[in-house]
Amino acid sequence: MSTDSLTAGKSTRRKTSRAAKPGPQSPDGTLRRRKGLSERNRPLWMLIPGGLLMIVIIVVPLLLGIFMSGLDLDQYSLRQWVSAPFIGVQNFVEALTASPLLHAIWLSVSYSLLAMVVTIPLGIAGAVATQNAFKGRALIRSIFLIPYVLPSFVVATVWRTMFQPGSVIDSMLHSVGIDAGLWLNGPQSYWTLILVQIWASWPFVYLLALSGLQSVDHEVHEASALDGALWWNKLRYVVFPYLKGPLSLAFLIGMLHHINNFTLPFVLFGVPAPSDVELLPILTYVTSFQSFRFGLSAAMAFISLILIAIPLFIYLRAVKLDDAETPGGKK
Amino acid sequence: MKFASSAKFAAVVLTAALALTACGGGSSSSGGSPGPVDGKGKKLSVLTGVNNQYSAQQKQWFTDIAAKFKAQTGADISFETFASANDELTRIQTSVVSGQGPDVYSLGTTFTPTAYATKAFVTLSDDDWKKVGGKDRFNPAALGISGPDAQHQAGIPFVSRPFVMAYNKDLLKAAGIDKPATSWDELAAQAKKMTDPATGTFGLATGYKDNFDPWKFIWAMSVQAGNPLVDGKTLKLDDPTVKKAYETYFGWLTKDKIVDPASIGWSNSNAVAAFASGKAGYLMMTTSSSLPTLDKSAVAGKYAYTAMPTTAPGQTSPQGDGANAASILSGDNVVVADYSKQKDLAFAYINLITSKDEQLNFQKIFGDLPANAEALKALDNPALKPVADTAAKSKATPFTGAWGDIQLALLNVVVQSIPDLSKGSVDDSALQARLKDAQSKGQASLDRASK
Repeated sequence: MSTDSLTAGKSTRRKTSRAAKPGPQSPDGTLRRRKGLSERNRPLWMLIPGGLLMIVIIVVPLLLGIFMSGLDLDQYSLRQWVSAPFIGVQNFVEALTASPLLHAIWLSVSYSLLAMVVTIPLGIAGAVATQNAFKGRALIRSIFLIPYVLPSFVVATVWRTMFQPGSVIDSMLHSVGIDAGLWLNGPQSYWTLILVQIWASWPFVYLLALSGLQSVDHEVHEASALDGALWWNKLRYVVFPYLKGPLSLAFLIGMLHHINNFTLPFVLFGVPAPSDVELLPILTYVTSFQSFRFGLSAAMAFISLILIAIPLFIYLRAVKLDDAETPGGKK
Repeated sequence: MKFASSAKFAAVVLTAALALTACGGGSSSSGGSPGPVDGKGKKLSVLTGVNNQYSAQQKQWFTDIAAKFKAQTGADISFETFASANDELTRIQTSVVSGQGPDVYSLGTTFTPTAYATKAFVTLSDDDWKKVGGKDRFNPAALGISGPDAQHQAGIPFVSRPFVMAYNKDLLKAAGIDKPATSWDELAAQAKKMTDPATGTFGLATGYKDNFDPWKFIWAMSVQAGNPLVDGKTLKLDDPTVKKAYETYFGWLTKDKIVDPASIGWSNSNAVAAFASGKAGYLMMTTSSSLPTLDKSAVAGKYAYTAMPTTAPGQTSPQGDGANAASILSGDNVVVADYSKQKDLAFAYINLITSKDEQLNFQKIFGDLPANAEALKALDNPALKPVADTAAKSKATPFTGAWGDIQLALLNVVVQSIPDLSKGSVDDSALQARLKDAQSKGQASLDRASK
């Protein structure tokens, strides 16, 4: 989560600074040549420590994970796990045919999408509402951020308590004559999850939308006002184009974060999870740490990694976020 | 961003493979013969469950035991605690893979078979047993889940925590019941007499959302009807006795209406609270560790413990080994890690904590019954008598590495039935389907265990 937001902040800053500057593609000969010069003498060796760290904490575990997904690794072979029997793609076959993996993928993706679809307008509305200075704006802005700074565990615990049968929410609804039924189990639990997720994650969209709004030049507002644009037209044709970048970034990070979110469903519903909220991370966790099928769960995790990587890759190609400084340039 | 997703991926998959926590013992070779162990300058590392109920007392106990251990052996102890069963699992898996970590672990009894299956813990030889004070020091029943057979035992019994029920003497008397039920049918009938929804009083208090209780009911009623659940390499969850057990357990809520409808969201502690407020006739599936809580509550002096029924629903007497299945064999075992380089020191520590005096002291502070036979006999609190009797009538859950999965499958049937329970009836075909699912999952796990 913290890594997400950190990266997000950085990328946004990068993006906004690009938006503010004249486009680097502009045929500016001197700029090009200077860049070429600096490229030649770049001290690439300084990347070595970071590179080594990346290998140790990302590449090695990733390779180990892929290796594990080919092993019949369980509590009986855990102790000498490297010599566990190699069974090729059997784990993948089992994950896809004999486990609830596909159902879990469907639940994870659909819930993430639904939560995103609601949080984006909420975030924009929040950002637009606090864009112009008014008395107490700083306070409102801080209040907006509360769900975002609370640890996921706390959020889930509080909501779980409120959603207990016969607890606060039930008695509130009861007083207006609604018998809502079960929140933490059964079909409704899926919507409970989405509701809590929206509550917890909309400030993230709000933050990015706010950063997008800040980058709208004052002149643009003035120009559109002179042209007689009313608020909706101004919003639609002047402000929204500025928000496109930050918001697609928010969408991407939010989706990844929701799909990977373990704490929220785990604390809300516990394990074994009701089948309506047996999400991907929960399924992987139970397979690993309750049933001890490490090989199988590694295969599940690998499948989900691919699943996440495909849209991520397409998106990065499309918006070229991966090399924002030199659009189109390959080095 | 890429970093974040891969890192999370790695964290999910590879907690087990990446040994992040390396702690514990200094390196020195073990001696080999019984007798006083010289542990000067050494440090024993012990992992045990955190006791949230009595956390201050637990810290004090750690200090006291460490001092006594130092006086005996000259070695220090560092205690580490885990907060939950999941926490413990992760620690064990990490240590098993990396071959380093605590020297001594405390394990719940039902988890012992799974731990045994990893072969990462010492199977005690006759010599080793002598080092912990001899096998005959322990209550024989408590050894029932130490290993697959008497020759292969890894778990050394530390405390017994048999499951019993508590009853409110006043409520029973008011309903004209002179003694607590000994069959599940009788229990339901008695509970019905005490139930009065108008005053919020219910015959039974139990939590359907608890992570452990539900499968214990199903296990008990099935075993008492003559179905041991695991028969060699065959799992028998598709047996009519199991279905009957679920129907009875669900029936308390849907048909008999003798439990609070809110209990579909309760865990065991909510049930204890309900009983403590005097609103329940029976508190099901509790242990002697509820004693200090109840003694400070509204029912202080008005309640007593007794063994749970041993006659299965619809039966007139216990079948098979049913009379000895008043509770699962429950409590804590301690195990010594196979990788430990100071096993003698570990055995000396276990010798200390399973001695009669220490066991009685532990009982006084925490309420758990001694596993030490002499200490168990020396208990003089009359309230604990029925609990101690139940300790002798406890039956071990099947000793297989697959038990964890079977337990999960049994629990899952209840979890998936909760929406039906809240609507007031569990559909027969739905229950059948859930049982079939549990059977196939559990059987698959059992097949892996016997491979």
